[in-house]
Amino acid sequence: MLRYIWLVPALPLAGFVVNLFAGRRLGRAAGWLASTLMVASLGVAVSIGAELLSRPAGDRVAVQHLFDWIQVGTFRANVDLRVDPLSLTMILVVTAVGSLIHVYSIGYMHDDPRYGRFFAYMNLFCFFMLTLVLAENLLVLYVGWEGVGLCSYLLIGFWFERPSAASAAKKAFVTTRIGDTFMLVGIALVFLRLGSLDFSVVLSPSIAAVQPSGVFTVIALLLFAGAIGKSAQVPLHVWLPDAMEGPTPVSALIHAATMVTAGVYLVVRTHVFFEISGIALAVVIVVGLVTALYAGLCALGQDDIKRVLAYSTISQLGFMFLAAGMRAYAAAMFMLVAHAAYKALLFLSAGSVMHGLHGETDMTRMGGLRRAMPWTAVVMGIGALSLAGVYGFAGYFAKDQILTIASESGRVVGYVLGVLGAFLSVLYIGRLVFLTFFGEPRSDAAREAHESPAVMLGPLVVLAIGAVGLGLLEINIETGRLAVFLGSVLGAFESGAAGPAEAVLVVVSQLLVVGGLAIAWIVYGSGRVDWLALRMRLAGPKRFLKGGMYVDDVYSTALVAPGEAGSAFLAYVFDTDAVDGAVNGVGSLFQRLARTGRRLQTGLVRTYALAFLIGALVLFVYVGSRS
Amino acid sequence: MKTPIAYFLIVSAALFTIGTIGVMVRRNALVMFMSIELQLNGVNLALVAFSRMHGDLTGQVITFFSLVVAAAEVVVGLAIIVNVFRRRRSTNVDDLSLLKW
Repeated sequence: MLRYIWLVPALPLAGFVVNLFAGRRLGRAAGWLASTLMVASLGVAVSIGAELLSRPAGDRVAVQHLFDWIQVGTFRANVDLRVDPLSLTMILVVTAVGSLIHVYSIGYMHDDPRYGRFFAYMNLFCFFMLTLVLAENLLVLYVGWEGVGLCSYLLIGFWFERPSAASAAKKAFVTTRIGDTFMLVGIALVFLRLGSLDFSVVLSPSIAAVQPSGVFTVIALLLFAGAIGKSAQVPLHVWLPDAMEGPTPVSALIHAATMVTAGVYLVVRTHVFFEISGIALAVVIVVGLVTALYAGLCALGQDDIKRVLAYSTISQLGFMFLAAGMRAYAAAMFMLVAHAAYKALLFLSAGSVMHGLHGETDMTRMGGLRRAMPWTAVVMGIGALSLAGVYGFAGYFAKDQILTIASESGRVVGYVLGVLGAFLSVLYIGRLVFLTFFGEPRSDAAREAHESPAVMLGPLVVLAIGAVGLGLLEINIETGRLAVFLGSVLGAFESGAAGPAEAVLVVVSQLLVVGGLAIAWIVYGSGRVDWLALRMRLAGPKRFLKGGMYVDDVYSTALVAPGEAGSAFLAYVFDTDAVDGAVNGVGSLFQRLARTGRRLQTGLVRTYALAFLIGALVLFVYVGSRS
Repeated sequence: MKTPIAYFLIVSAALFTIGTIGVMVRRNALVMFMSIELQLNGVNLALVAFSRMHGDLTGQVITFFSLVVAAAEVVVGLAIIVNVFRRRRSTNVDDLSLLKW
């Protein structure tokens, strides 16, 4: 079965090609075709996984050589696919969540005039994402990395008739490009200093002896810069909240479950560099923590249901980086898997709400939807409980494990801040659920809401099962199934024994969950607090949080405004005056010369004859005087 | 006894000067044309004289070329003058100053 690895990315690619050229003619069939191919891809991935599991733990790596790509001098980059426990985990997430979201989209995008093109882009995205995670060398990974960026751009701007969508797509593309440029430099440095791009060469533990550790620090930080851009970490996070302009399935697939986690995958995949460096790991921790807290706070101030989830995603990605920075890669990967399930579930539920309310996204205009949309309310509630980290849900095992590791490895500050971040996530998700589904309807659209069709609810139910049940994969970082499975790639993790006992940590986290949900219920759900009056009184902080702490404004003042001023100077001063001035100046100089010079042409033959004569005489005198 | 070269050159220079003055001062195109012929023949005479002096036939050969070119020039020039006269009833070159700025 391992011979068929190539089918995993090839099937979505085939779907893309067919839907690109025949999508319009296929009509409704386009969505079913795209979904079928994704499910087929999932099937191949599952059977590959079964075969990999049947092998002994030390022998779970397979590399498939597809074709020679670039060979110049000593530079060699071939298109090879690598299947090992890490990439297998990723392709299972991508194909499983991808299949569900494709099916969901059949219902969600039902009335869209560009139905076929939507599925073409979605399939193309899955192809690039699978290429990214299956790549055996950094260059192929980079191709996938840029490819998913392109698809993200195309899908955020899918409704490009809206100027806000078009500019959000542009913003996402440009912002991630900043990180990608650093990453490309990092890849070049890897080849320059380590002599190869293949993972089997550069990621062997013996590579540390090849170069001083400073080189690895630079490489790791450059690669991490790419991860910061792609995974929307501070300070390159500004594109993700705006990316919510795209259709909701896109937000669920690209901006929650898969593409934004590519940064986490990159750090985990190249963890050898980060470990040799040491400093780079500390940077990863700091960035992750700052992002988790920052985005958690901002999520509290959002009124748009999708923007809450967007900031939530940024915050959760921060937790994944926190785990990766603490060398708990399996914990990061488990958080990635669990997050893919419950965040996709939350996004798709939000999409279901929007579908029932004819595109309304403002939570202040919802309320009481649990009566009109019981299914959506239940599955979104499950997703919310999982995100909040209620005991037994997948989200609990994921987040609690990371906090436990922080405590046991003696990182007290990291633990306290992490717990604070987790508490914030309880607050904002509680606020979201209570504002949306409880209380009384606050607009006509909310009063006339209707439940979504079965084709949309089906994937939601499957994801809800995942958001609960995935916890079985990983109860414990040392003996959890996923950790043991990934151990052959990532090495075993040894947690310390600092801090209070695990039972104490569980009690602390559950008390915070209950407390947070209680606060959110009292303020937004019970009807006992007039939260509209409260937000009037707290208008200042609210605006601060809603605007993402004005990071966007700082960027537009510090970077965009000078850039625009510089462009304006070049366009309206330098170009018109200096460049055009030079061209026009030469032109008018010759015009003026000609205006004077043409007076020489009198048209009188005798004048010319006289000129001849004088010229001849001058020549005569000159020649005579020389000899 | 050979005629001294100076005699030939004096005649040649005289012809050329008369021709030059004729071109400069006369306005009738035909007369100017004849003056140019005078200039040409002045030069031809000088060429032949120098050729004889040096005992080298190159100068005489060039003279033949010059005669042929002059003949061709007369054909074209006279044709132009005739046509201009037919059109404008005048051979005064000062009237023909259209080709200016």
